[in-house]
Amino acid sequence: MRVIKSLLAFALLSSSMAQAAVLTDAVEIVEKANLSSYYAGKDGRAKARMRITDAQGRQQLRQFTILRHSKEPGGEQDMMVFFSRPSDVRNTVFRVVRHPGEDDDRWLYLPGLDLVKRISAGDKRTSFVGSDFFYEDVSGRDPSADHHRLVKTTDEHYVLESTPKDAQSVEFASYQSWISKETLMPVTVEYKNHKGVVYRRMEALKVELIQGYPTAVSAKITDLERGSSTEMQMRGIQYDIGLPQSLFSERSLRNPPVQWLKGR
Amino acid sequence: MAPCLLDVSNVLFDKTLGFSNIKMKILFTTFALQHPRKVYGLVLLLTLACLAMMPLLTIDTDPENMLREDDPARIFHNQVKQQFIMHDTIVVGAVSATGEGIYNPQSLQALHQLSRGILDIDGVVSRDQMSLDTVDNITQQGPGTIRFEWLMQQAPQTQAQADAIKQAVNRLPMLNNTLVSGDGQAAAVYVPVADKDESYRIAEEVRGLVAGLDSSDQYHITGLPVAEDQFGVEMFIQMGISAPLAGLAIFILMWVFFRSLPLVTGPMIVAMATVIITMGLLIGMGFTVHIMSSMIAIFLMPIAVVDSTHILSEFADRFHPGEDPKAVIIKVMDHLFTPMLYTSVTSALGFLSLMLTPIPPVQIFGAYIAFGIFLAFLLTIIFIPAYISRMSPEALKSLQNAIHRMEDGGRLGRWLPRLGGFATGRRFVVLLVAAGAFAISVAGITRIQINDNPVNWFKADHEIRVADKVLNNHFAGTYDAWLVLESTSADNTSLANEVNQLIAGAEAQGIDLSAYAVIGNLELDVLASRLDDQLFAAGADEAVWLEQMLAVVEQEQQQRRTFLNPAVLQWMEGLQTHLLASDLVGKVNAMPDVVKTVNRELRSGADADFLLPDTANGVAQTLLQYQSSHRPQELWHFVTPDYRDSLIWLQLTSGDNQHMSQVVALVDAYIAEHPLPEGLRYGWAGKAYLNVVWQDAMVSGMADSLLSSFVVVFVMMVVLFRSLKYGVLAMLPLTFTITLIYGLIGWVGKDYDMPIAVLSALTLGLSVDFAIHFLQRYRELRKQGTNDISLAEMFQEPGRAITRNAIVIAVGFTPLLFAPLVPYITVGIFLASIMAASALVTLVLLPALLKFETIGKA
Repeated sequence: MRVIKSLLAFALLSSSMAQAAVLTDAVEIVEKANLSSYYAGKDGRAKARMRITDAQGRQQLRQFTILRHSKEPGGEQDMMVFFSRPSDVRNTVFRVVRHPGEDDDRWLYLPGLDLVKRISAGDKRTSFVGSDFFYEDVSGRDPSADHHRLVKTTDEHYVLESTPKDAQSVEFASYQSWISKETLMPVTVEYKNHKGVVYRRMEALKVELIQGYPTAVSAKITDLERGSSTEMQMRGIQYDIGLPQSLFSERSLRNPPVQWLKGR
Repeated sequence: MAPCLLDVSNVLFDKTLGFSNIKMKILFTTFALQHPRKVYGLVLLLTLACLAMMPLLTIDTDPENMLREDDPARIFHNQVKQQFIMHDTIVVGAVSATGEGIYNPQSLQALHQLSRGILDIDGVVSRDQMSLDTVDNITQQGPGTIRFEWLMQQAPQTQAQADAIKQAVNRLPMLNNTLVSGDGQAAAVYVPVADKDESYRIAEEVRGLVAGLDSSDQYHITGLPVAEDQFGVEMFIQMGISAPLAGLAIFILMWVFFRSLPLVTGPMIVAMATVIITMGLLIGMGFTVHIMSSMIAIFLMPIAVVDSTHILSEFADRFHPGEDPKAVIIKVMDHLFTPMLYTSVTSALGFLSLMLTPIPPVQIFGAYIAFGIFLAFLLTIIFIPAYISRMSPEALKSLQNAIHRMEDGGRLGRWLPRLGGFATGRRFVVLLVAAGAFAISVAGITRIQINDNPVNWFKADHEIRVADKVLNNHFAGTYDAWLVLESTSADNTSLANEVNQLIAGAEAQGIDLSAYAVIGNLELDVLASRLDDQLFAAGADEAVWLEQMLAVVEQEQQQRRTFLNPAVLQWMEGLQTHLLASDLVGKVNAMPDVVKTVNRELRSGADADFLLPDTANGVAQTLLQYQSSHRPQELWHFVTPDYRDSLIWLQLTSGDNQHMSQVVALVDAYIAEHPLPEGLRYGWAGKAYLNVVWQDAMVSGMADSLLSSFVVVFVMMVVLFRSLKYGVLAMLPLTFTITLIYGLIGWVGKDYDMPIAVLSALTLGLSVDFAIHFLQRYRELRKQGTNDISLAEMFQEPGRAITRNAIVIAVGFTPLLFAPLVPYITVGIFLASIMAASALVTLVLLPALLKFETIGKA
């Protein structure tokens, strides 16, 4: 235990050393938070399980494996999501090419309909497969889409207030993020509607260091209006496993790269 | 509340024990005569105490409360509401006034602005609001590309943009004819409210927003919650206006009859005290005031004055100056006690019989009016003697003058003997006409249409009725019925066997997986997750077994998701088509529509692809896409997250119970011919259906009430007259009258609705009074003279008394005609006419029969 603790302490120390001094520029903080949340490692793999609980306590499950590959930190990124559960959506695949500052490219493979479809989304703030996560919560929101302001800096957190540049494209009026000074991971994000009421909350329930990268292995989004929440747990996370760029193609939609999905 | 009841009963009944009937008759009177001040004080105290409880009044206008809280239909309805997250909904409709339709920039801008405004109103479940600007559109964007977006995030600025919205809506079966009418003339915003008791306020705020719109369209607000709330407001008005008006009408009428302040004041005090104590107790005991109980005051007032008027009339008749008034009162009471007791008991019985109807508001109404009648009786025999004993000699003189003036008879005195002459002289004509009318009425009763519709409780020109009519003209219907298909409970037995075999297999290899056995009603989701967790940590040997177990569990899970099965969806599709072909149902919204729409857009967007996928996996994947929208919760209005239960939402264009009953019959017939897929059962929910349930309970309950009160009143008549023949005679006029009135309802085509149903049993108790008075007087006279003389004498003072009573009661109910709500008007017309008719029938039919010498012979 002590070993783990000291390891952890060392890791934290090293990462905070890397960040050098306390940050004061809001945009810089957000960009760093974006990198630590969505660009850890050159590539990566994780098994995710989403448990959606509605206001009545009824639950649904979604289980999938995410493969990710970044061209450069903060830049273009490939992502594929392979569903394994519930069993009737097994082998459904999402493919996303993230273009920061522009619309993403999205494809979909539905084995039950034997159909590959390109998706043109009006916006990225629609439900991710019926959960309380938005598509954008999974792929990452473009830091340049909002104005950011550093509200305060506490012992542990940077507290930021962000407002959208294009208010029409989002359902929130503003959001406040508590970003850990140590890991630069957002710990809590609260979304307010135009009445100033918090209606949505994201919480990183558990952040672990994996291969030196702070990783949210458990996160929860609560829809305070609807009374529903979704908890996402990540397991089997591995970074820098050498995923080939060629894997992220239309071909992999119909033919899942089994060898990259199986390993754990 | 309880203390004031007890106080009275202690004073009244402690001393009655052990006394004979004769003594009991005058016991209350002697007490009252000895302690007039105590009686005054007691009545005043009771009245004030009960008056003090009035402010606690809570109005209940929810038709749902026509059913007991534990009624299975109601429990099912509420369970369905929760299961499928259905809210009470206010419907706001915009209708094009010019006929150019709703798809133009100006109309849509106004609608957009209104919808955004409504989203901000407190108490609106904004997440579930349905409007063009809050729903998603699925379209094709070029070949092979599907697009999900808000249908109308911003209001269109050009006609082309408006037309694009039109095209989109026409392609979305879930929205077409729900959000915009099929003819394109009207659009709607469905506003879900968290608490329906707030709907009036919310509706008012919506009206405020509408007033601020720059639009030539006409806006209407409807929906059951608004109607209910509005109804409550108007009920208050009714109680505040009609009840005092009834008091005033009775006062004026009695003044016209008696022209004596003391003769009018005494009975009025009894009536007021009765009404206040009864209503105060009802409120104080925690009952809500429902449409039925709001009429208690109006019912009690005329009933309460009748007995005291009897006493005062007879007292004035017997009293001669110089006599001791107290001695005269005792004589009067001794004479009137039994007939008053009997008429009170029969009237009360009519109301008490309502307790047999399983509708709580009707039961409360019946119980409290019965209580009020007994209270009026008690007050009459206690308060009126005390009142007389404290009258000054001048007042007594004026009372006597009044009575002597009445002896001349006035107009009544002129035409009543003529009526008697006609009845006895042309008795064959009378009896023949009566028999004919009876036969025609019976035929009319068979034509009675049982139907009700809470929206029709408002007058035809009421804004809610107008909105209801306009919106239902354009849309598929604003009345909801929910047909719910439920999976019968799943059995874990075979799964348990399979899993346990695997566990045994693993154990043989020394791997302990006993923790994953299927026990009892284990949730398969939980088991699957646990197996999956273990799979993560397990070594290769263990994993082999775990994966097999997981596969078995998953297969079972998949089988249990009934509503992903295309065969089941096809069955639903068949039912939908059948319902739509019937003209009874405006629109049917269900799972197949969702699946087919998304499937079409996923495939090509062409109409040819508006189909169900072939496999359950195809359906599941289609729905996964549907859920990837701005409104992922939308799906759960049609199916539960475990896909075991599904809701089919029927939109009906009328709230008529009859309409709903026909739909139920239609579905029953369809299912009889096309059996439900295996493992499914069905049930109904929704307000339109609940109304049918309580109405059925009402109709059968009323039959019990009517029959039982008929039998009991008949037995009482036999006992009262100690003659079977007289018992039958006493029942004749009211039997004839009730048949006549209901026959008329049948022929006229007036719906047999709640007020009409309730009145049948209670009029029986009220209208028998005339026959009791008539027959008792006739028998007394017959003992002294010939039949002809007795009958002629009946059309003097006794006939006048009966007529006056009938007029007082009938007129007492007429203020209801001015009420703002239809049920009150119905009750007013119906009661007034039944009272008038039964008095007339008593005065015509009984003499015509009694003219036959043998019939009246004791």
